[in-house]
Amino acid sequence: MNENQRVQQVLSGNSSAFAYFVEAYQDMAITIAHRICGNMQDAEDVVQESFVKAYRNLRSFRSDSKFSTWLYRIVYNTAITHSKTQMWIGSRETVVEEASQVADNALEINMDEMERKEIVSEVMQRMPKGDALLLTLYYLEDNPVKEIAKITGLNEPNVKVKLFRARKLFKEMVVSNYGIQITGS
Amino acid sequence: MLETYNQHKEDEQMRKILSSTKINASENLKYRIMRQIETENALVPKKGKPIKESGNVLKEMGSLFGTMYAVLAAMIAGVYFLFGKEFLLSPQFIGTVILIASVFSLLWLISRLDSYLKEKKRIH
Repeated sequence: MNENQRVQQVLSGNSSAFAYFVEAYQDMAITIAHRICGNMQDAEDVVQESFVKAYRNLRSFRSDSKFSTWLYRIVYNTAITHSKTQMWIGSRETVVEEASQVADNALEINMDEMERKEIVSEVMQRMPKGDALLLTLYYLEDNPVKEIAKITGLNEPNVKVKLFRARKLFKEMVVSNYGIQITGS
Repeated sequence: MLETYNQHKEDEQMRKILSSTKINASENLKYRIMRQIETENALVPKKGKPIKESGNVLKEMGSLFGTMYAVLAAMIAGVYFLFGKEFLLSPQFIGTVILIASVFSLLWLISRLDSYLKEKKRIH
C-alpha cells in the first residue's frame, strides 16, 4: 500500500492508519525540530503539534507532492513559531571566529566511533541553526535541493549557496575546534 | 568529471559522518500523538447525513407551485361558471392571473434565498 492510499484510508475515517506516518517520520521530524528548538522537550512538543496539524489538514495535502516534504514543512513552521527563531539571520561570523580561537589550543586526537559521533553532534549544535538544518535535510534524508526549498521556503539557488557554506563551515569547525580531519571510517 | 566525482565522494563521506546525528524519537511520542488525535476525534461531534438539498428544493417547489396552480384552477373554474367563457380571455382576468403567478414566484424566490442564507450560515 502506498502513501496516497494510506492518506485516503485516514481521510475515509480510519484515524489509526495515521500511525504509519507517525512511525515512519517521527525520527526525522524530531531531528528537524531539535535543530531549530535546541532542546528535546520543545522538539517533542513541536513534533506532536505538527503531526496533529498534519492530521487535521490532511485534506489539503496534494498527492502530487511527497508526504514527507509536506510534513517537514509543517514541522519547520511549527518549530519556528514555537521557538520564535529567526532561522536565516544567524551568528555565522561569531561561530567561525570562536572556532578559530579554540583552534589555537586544539590537540591532535585519535578518534574512535563514539568520539566522532560526539564531536559531530557537538559541532552541529554549535553551528547556526539554519546551516545545521540544511545539512540535516540534505544528508540525512537525501532530500534534493528542490524539496529543501519547499520545506524551508527559500529559493533553490539560495539553498544551494547556503548548503555550500554550511558544508564549508562544518568542515572548518571540526578542523578548528578539534584540530582533526574527520574521515568516514 | 573529476570534480563531480570528488563532490560525490565528499557527499558520501558527509552523509556517513552526519548519519550519527539523527535523533530517535522517544518511545512514547507516537503514543502521545495518536492519543491526542483519537481524543480530538472523539470530541468532534459526528456529522449526520447531509440533508438532501436537491430533494428539498423539488419538494418546496412542488408544494408552492402546486398551491399556485390549485388557486388558479379554482379561480378559472369559478369565473367560468359565474361569468362565462368570454371573461376568461379578458385583459382584467389575465392581469389577475399574472399577478397571482408573480406573487407565488416572489414567495418562491424569498424561500430559496432564505435556504441559501441558512446553508451558508451552517457551513461557517
